[in-house]
Amino acid sequence: MTSPLISVKNLTLRFKTDEGMVTAVNDVSFDIAPGEVLGLVGESGSGKSVTAKALMMLNAENSVYDDNSRITLRTDEREIDVLSLKRPKDQMIIRGGAISMIFQEPMASFAPAISIGDQMIEQLMIHSDMTPAQAKEVSIEMLNRVGIPEPAHRFKQYAFEFSGGMRQRAMIAMALSTKPRLLIADEPTTALDVTIQAQVIELMKDLVDEFHMSILFITHDLGVIAQTADRVAVMYLGNLVETGTVRQVINTPAHPYTRGLLNSLPKLDDLEAQLTPVPGDIPSPLDRPSGCVFHTRCVETAGIAEQCRTQIPGYTSDSSNHQVACHLATQGDQS
Amino acid sequence: MFHFLQFAATRAALAVITLIMVSFIVFSLMELVPGDCAERYLAFKNTTGAQISVADIEAERVRLGLDKPYVVRWGTWIVNAFQGDFGDSCILRLNISQLLGEKFWISLVICLTSLLVAYLIAIPVGIISATSKSPVVNNSLRLVSYLGLAMPNFLLALMIMLFSTMVFGDSLTGLFSKEFRDAAWSYERFIDFISRAWLPIFILGWSATAFAIQTVRALMSDEVGKLYVLAAAARGVTGRRLLWRYPARHSLGPIINSLGFDLNRIFNELPIVALILTLTEAGALLIESLARSNDQQLAGAIIFLLTASIVGINFVTDIILALTDPRVRRSILG
Repeated sequence: MTSPLISVKNLTLRFKTDEGMVTAVNDVSFDIAPGEVLGLVGESGSGKSVTAKALMMLNAENSVYDDNSRITLRTDEREIDVLSLKRPKDQMIIRGGAISMIFQEPMASFAPAISIGDQMIEQLMIHSDMTPAQAKEVSIEMLNRVGIPEPAHRFKQYAFEFSGGMRQRAMIAMALSTKPRLLIADEPTTALDVTIQAQVIELMKDLVDEFHMSILFITHDLGVIAQTADRVAVMYLGNLVETGTVRQVINTPAHPYTRGLLNSLPKLDDLEAQLTPVPGDIPSPLDRPSGCVFHTRCVETAGIAEQCRTQIPGYTSDSSNHQVACHLATQGDQS
Repeated sequence: MFHFLQFAATRAALAVITLIMVSFIVFSLMELVPGDCAERYLAFKNTTGAQISVADIEAERVRLGLDKPYVVRWGTWIVNAFQGDFGDSCILRLNISQLLGEKFWISLVICLTSLLVAYLIAIPVGIISATSKSPVVNNSLRLVSYLGLAMPNFLLALMIMLFSTMVFGDSLTGLFSKEFRDAAWSYERFIDFISRAWLPIFILGWSATAFAIQTVRALMSDEVGKLYVLAAAARGVTGRRLLWRYPARHSLGPIINSLGFDLNRIFNELPIVALILTLTEAGALLIESLARSNDQQLAGAIIFLLTASIVGINFVTDIILALTDPRVRRSILG
């Protein structure tokens, strides 16, 4: 197996707030291989965006990384210890250089009074030695590549003159212009119409192959994940509860929370089927449950409720590296 | 470029239409005051002992053109006003342009300079305080702001006068020293003006600055939290470029937009300061002509000049906004 492009080890991240330290990400570890698409799934507040932003050190200034946390990025030339990059000059490699990010709302992610082209040129000039003329040429080429008609004309326009789908295409063009090794896509299709959504996903899949880059695809939509990702990581309240290939996680979900998420999806082939939402609400991160963080909403604790309430489940893994943090899985091993 | 020219032309046309409408309102208000110039003048003559008949009043009306229809008189007034001629004052029987002289322009210069100073201070300070995490910086700025907002202008003026009289033996009142009061403009007179005018500018600018800091700070705090700032940081934009090119630049639109309103607010504050510092300026003259002498011709002229200045400033700020924000350029009437 090739060495991973990026390794996240024991990532723990807390926010200093007036109410005390709030744990947003708790002891999260995962790898992304070169060319791999990892889907990061979870409800709002599960810590998936915070985890993604940690890869670029983009979290707010009140964030505190635990001493054991390690994020290692391997580019062709060197290994970068991401969390040790303190100076803005050093952080540039993970901000728009080796890692790019696109966001949920393409309208809001462009500065409204600066043209799309100027923002693209800016990024290229920060990360390369290009002249403005070269940067412009590359930008127009990229706009053309992502399927924007009349790219030379569109280059001069502003975000408010683009449609939703075109904006996200332009965002992707800008993010990929510096040829990053990893693209972080934070719910990139959530704000788009379903048909446009499919087009954008198709485009991203093409570009992964063409540029041979990896994608960290964040979403709460398991349907989108099934179409795009190679592997899936499921997060709940800052914890990683299950990781595995798309097939493993969707066909044989091992964690009760993953099962709950899958059951709450509407099914087109069985319109009579009842929707079964995961009961209850996600607890406040200020008041994290003891033991397994999911036990307050879990419907499968029968017989081991005491264990779930008091003991933190470790990760168990089957032979094909399908990992889950659940006491049910450990019991299965023992029997 | 095409969009910009189209925008500028539309705005210029709108400004002229606004001015014509304003002139109609001002003229109508002048007409609404009971009695006209002929009656008022002859009533004054009466108090000096002269015998006045109804025929005299009618003759005076014809002489002043007051017998002509309303619309015709408005038309004459507006055409003359655009040429800088506001006719004669009813009471003082003097040409208004002569009477006002440079007073209006001096008032305007004082107000505009106060605004300029206020924003030169408020924009950097507001931006820094919105992005600074230091409690010392934030609390001291808050204190200065509250002092500026809470302390009335006249009190500040009185305190400075008192202090200056005790320390320098000069109360710093008036706009010119005696020898320059009626002199023609020269370099020396300008210097003399500056050496006096800084005080009203400072006093007016004081509260305007406090007000502006609060505005800039609020706008900036709002803007730094927006997604496009995070997105720019994610592209590798850092430091001052990330601050000025992104949130700062985008937070200035509403400030530019409100400059016309600010000018009006400061002009309204000017008479109180002028009264205490015994400045001869147009704001005080306006109150005098409205409240005491009932000189509708003079009051109308000052109100029209003030409104024209505000419309002018709004036009300029619209042009600046259109230059800085493409969304404004594309919205012809927006």
